[in-house]
Amino acid sequence: METLNFLLHGFSVALMPEHLLFAAIGALLGTLIGALPGLGPANGVAILIPLAFSLGLSPAASMILLTSVYAGAMYGGRISSILLNIPGDEPAMMTTLDGYPMAMKGKAAEALAISAIASFIGSLLATIGLIILAPILARFALHFGPAEYFALFALAFATLGGVTGKNQVKTVVAAALGLMISTVGVDISTGNQRYTYNILELYEGVDFIIAIVGLFAISELMFFIERHISEGAGSATLNKLNLKMSDILHILPTSLRGSVLGFISGVLPGAGASLGSFISYSLEKKIIGSKGYFGEGDPRGIAAPEAGNNAAANGALVPMLTLGVPGSGTTAVLLAMLISLNVQPGPMLFTQNAELVWGVIAALLVGNVMLLVLNIPMVGLFVKLLSIPPKYLMPVVTLIAAVGIYSISNSALDLYFMVGFGLLGYLLRKLEVPLVPVILGMLLGPEMERSLRHALTISDGDWSILFSSGLSVGIWAVAIAGLALPYILGPILRRRMENARARMEIAEEAD
Amino acid sequence: MIGDRILGILMLLLAVAYGWEASQFPEPFGGVEAVGPETFPLLLAVILGFSSIYLIVKPDPDQEWPGTKTLLDLAFVLVLLLIFAALLAPLGFVISTTLMVTVLCWRMGAKPIPAGLTGLGSAVSIYLLFNFLLELHLPAGILKLT
Repeated sequence: METLNFLLHGFSVALMPEHLLFAAIGALLGTLIGALPGLGPANGVAILIPLAFSLGLSPAASMILLTSVYAGAMYGGRISSILLNIPGDEPAMMTTLDGYPMAMKGKAAEALAISAIASFIGSLLATIGLIILAPILARFALHFGPAEYFALFALAFATLGGVTGKNQVKTVVAAALGLMISTVGVDISTGNQRYTYNILELYEGVDFIIAIVGLFAISELMFFIERHISEGAGSATLNKLNLKMSDILHILPTSLRGSVLGFISGVLPGAGASLGSFISYSLEKKIIGSKGYFGEGDPRGIAAPEAGNNAAANGALVPMLTLGVPGSGTTAVLLAMLISLNVQPGPMLFTQNAELVWGVIAALLVGNVMLLVLNIPMVGLFVKLLSIPPKYLMPVVTLIAAVGIYSISNSALDLYFMVGFGLLGYLLRKLEVPLVPVILGMLLGPEMERSLRHALTISDGDWSILFSSGLSVGIWAVAIAGLALPYILGPILRRRMENARARMEIAEEAD
Repeated sequence: MIGDRILGILMLLLAVAYGWEASQFPEPFGGVEAVGPETFPLLLAVILGFSSIYLIVKPDPDQEWPGTKTLLDLAFVLVLLLIFAALLAPLGFVISTTLMVTVLCWRMGAKPIPAGLTGLGSAVSIYLLFNFLLELHLPAGILKLT
């Protein structure tokens, strides 16, 4: 009952006319960000965070804006998968398998509409799942003491690479780097200066927003230059939409199954959206069997992965909102947004900031309806965007990123830091060190250190307190499994995903 | 191979320097306790140290690195962004942004005239949008009308 009250209150905030406008702007911007080459969802949300705050938007408005951007970016990624056979991001890979053949048959508009409907069903069901599951998990989190908090933060890093992660040691290196950066500044509990070298600007620590924008946006610019990508991805033509109610009913069971599978893999630590869309697609292919024509433009082959990856993206919000530990790059950036609103990450997030969290959930629901309404009529515009050449787009994106950073404190020093983080991000990506753990380290570092010190103060310096309760031992066990499993399961799963794509390419050449 | 080894060595050096510095933190006001400002950094130094040794012993195969010309291009872009940051306040937003975006478009393969138009167009429109519509003041610099 309490849940319902909170949710209704969330809606009453999200449905205010002014906030609906922000949701529409966010959904539009998000789809743009998802559709444009070189701007992933994490990157896009990161660029907009400083702008939202320097515009002086209220916490509720900036939260609604950025949540809609997040939801919109998930939608945008599929456009280039279907029309150009270029997956916008990793989870969109499975969508190319049936989406592109369908577009080749002259049914691009139907393929896009089906993916929009399946995405909507996926997000909607996952948001409902989130509403049911979140309070239960949050109540469970009340049993956590500082030792369990610490183990939970460790778990977040251990599972970040996902079961398909390549080199776990590099994830650990990246996490350690991020945590180290978070220790720069004046130590809150003793007032000691740490790693500040008497530079006044470092007393408050390194701003994670600057780090995120530098690591993502500037390093992306460098990759575009390195690969000499200057022309647009080519234009695609769109036919007139001819979608009947029976077509929607045809994909409905598939979308429902895909949503459930996607949601589960989103909630589980370490599974993520790529795995969600892969499992949904493979299972659907098994269920339908020879009655379908998967790989040759079966609409159900679009609906399954799209429902799966959108459900997974929203499912990933469950651990983020209830336990305060994000499981992916984009949810990490959303956590960055909440921290900027003075919310502390960690298991108390849901209890202490109920209003804000339910606001996010309501905003997600509103954003998704908005997206469905915007997407079907406006898809023609998004298609045109695909052909903007990066040689003009990337400089302007870089400019917007720089203006956002500059507007935080009007200091050139912040921009130097942004460029420095850009270089760091480029080098790390070249060495295949993941960037998300660096960012998560900066976000969770202060809370992680506080819980460690709290636990050790209670035990008077005895480190065994970290493993003294059944709960903490359980969390550590999952964390260790999360680090070790990719060595066993990773190669198998990666090979299967590669195979699915390779088979499809062979079939294409044979035509 | 060599890339990961270099990374491993650099990270090992960082871990040692970072850990050593943590051990030198002055005693906090109110005396030494079981845990202090150095506990967490020391833990991190140990973790980073061990993982970097692993990287040195078992490196992954290298990715392909760009040639000298591309590396110079990349360095040029970073320097360009630093110059932009330095000139932003003294020269003003419109001039420095026009220069930065124009040069960047040109380096990415655009012809000079469309590059210049993109630069000027984005500079003026963002300046107007920020200063008048969003009321966020960007530096006017030498173009200030007084």
